[in-house]
Amino acid sequence: MIEILREVQLPVISAALLLAALTKFADRSTQGQGPQAVLLPSWLHRPSALAIAATEAIAGVLLLLCFGALGDIVRAATVALFAVATAALIQTREHEPEKGCGCFGGLSTTPVGWRTISRAALFAVAAAVTVGVTPSGLGVLTQLTLPHLAVMLGEVALIAVLSPEFKELIQRLYYRDPCDIRDVPLNRSLARLYTSDAWREHVELLDSSEPVDVWRQKCLRFLRFRGTRAGRPADVIFAVPLSRRRSVVRSVVLDTTDSDQLV
Amino acid sequence: MVSRTEERRRFTAALLGPSAAPVPDDPSARVARGMLLDVSPHTLSVATAQGEERFVLARDTTCWRGRDVTSTELTPGHDVIIRRNPHSRTVAERVWSDLARVTGVITAYDGELLEVAPGHDRERVRLVIPYRASGRMRVRHHKLEPGYLFDAIGVWENGIVNALLPATSQPPYPAAEAPPPPPVRHRPARVSGMVSWYDPTHGRLPTTDAAATRAGAAYPALDRAGDCGTECDRVKSCVPLPQLSIGATFQLRNDCTGDTAAIPVVACGAAISHFCDRCVTCGFSERGRIAQLTLASYIALGGVPEAGCFNATMTVG
Repeated sequence: MIEILREVQLPVISAALLLAALTKFADRSTQGQGPQAVLLPSWLHRPSALAIAATEAIAGVLLLLCFGALGDIVRAATVALFAVATAALIQTREHEPEKGCGCFGGLSTTPVGWRTISRAALFAVAAAVTVGVTPSGLGVLTQLTLPHLAVMLGEVALIAVLSPEFKELIQRLYYRDPCDIRDVPLNRSLARLYTSDAWREHVELLDSSEPVDVWRQKCLRFLRFRGTRAGRPADVIFAVPLSRRRSVVRSVVLDTTDSDQLV
Repeated sequence: MVSRTEERRRFTAALLGPSAAPVPDDPSARVARGMLLDVSPHTLSVATAQGEERFVLARDTTCWRGRDVTSTELTPGHDVIIRRNPHSRTVAERVWSDLARVTGVITAYDGELLEVAPGHDRERVRLVIPYRASGRMRVRHHKLEPGYLFDAIGVWENGIVNALLPATSQPPYPAAEAPPPPPVRHRPARVSGMVSWYDPTHGRLPTTDAAATRAGAAYPALDRAGDCGTECDRVKSCVPLPQLSIGATFQLRNDCTGDTAAIPVVACGAAISHFCDRCVTCGFSERGRIAQLTLASYIALGGVPEAGCFNATMTVG
């Protein structure tokens, strides 16, 4: 059982490292979260995050591929990596208590707490017990047994409990900002307008299909077009809903000169 | 000629009804601004956009120029803004002279001159922190370094802002590294938060210009597709603000005094979108700034400029 516990650590740590690297590479924000944001000047935040991501990616791949003496060197290096990370997180918590750990890029914005520090320490211990394990990470994956899977699931559950990113991910996936708060591109509003009944009803009045003014109020985007009705200049205004629900596009035609409503 | 903002308000009302686009309140009934022509212990004479106006100074009238001063310490030729007594237009309730405020992100500091970027649509402002104010300023602004937030109130002195009173407690991280606000689950019917002020003349227009008493607010959640434009440097505010455009009108209630007014959005308030602070002038306030009122609207709504803020509740029709 102990041997199974040791073997399972290889693919688990490798997956965590590769996921951490991937989220750091994908993070386009300027948040600069993590220990490097505390220790380094701001112009080095992004390069240092990329360097850490590259190190994690290399360690993750080597843990999967290497075995024997080379495998032990990689595993010892991984222990050192997590030990340094644990120490850096403790420093971050002491000096910048509002900083996130940046472990999983933009997902790790929750201030560093005992859970994040415990997780890094847990990975350091997990990497330490893999030193001396015979197969590589890939070898463990190709010979998975039911006990391997059970231990793996248990450990993943423990890591999820220690990961504030889990809650952040759930929030991002399931809670979108209401329509009156979120940014909505103009192209999306135009696409919705051009397929609406209101557009088909008034398109013949318009001088151009490009709006002359665009403004917004909460969940509606207003688009103003110049047009002509009964030989007189008119303004055609559409109110396009920004919500996903099937709300109707509203419209009004106003005389440009005296603002009387024509239709 | 009808302005674009007035047209938008008219078109919005035509589509959604008048309650969606209320007529903005004019602050000139409560506020006058101009150049001080003459002053005595009991009267002020001011050149305003409407011509010369005379004000009676009552026994409880207070004057401010960097600190509380007597009326005779005010200097003719300088900018004054007056809150009228609610019962008499010609009686001054409070008088402020040479008011200035700088809100934004620090871009440079050479040990003497501080440069602050107040948002993508305004020119950078240079200011000095006099020695007498440097202690209290440093308590609330630990890092006078590029990238960090700055907000202070002061006075114009020989064409440059002298920052005297800190108007925020600076966050310990640069503006670009502020943690993002969490997603909003429910659409709020009303939004509460802090309201601050700015001077729409930016110290460049004469105070007898109509812009000096302009009603309105710079709004930190301006629609990027319309008015905020490609240079827009606003971020997602920590208050769940509905997105609006220039010309939209919202109801604003001063939670400290109970005064209410319809305020039009007249500019982008990108600078205040970075601030996630609280106002402690009265009671408990939610974090974050909901609007940066023009100086005239702020004073007309019962705000005290040297306090820097008041708690408010915003309702959009």
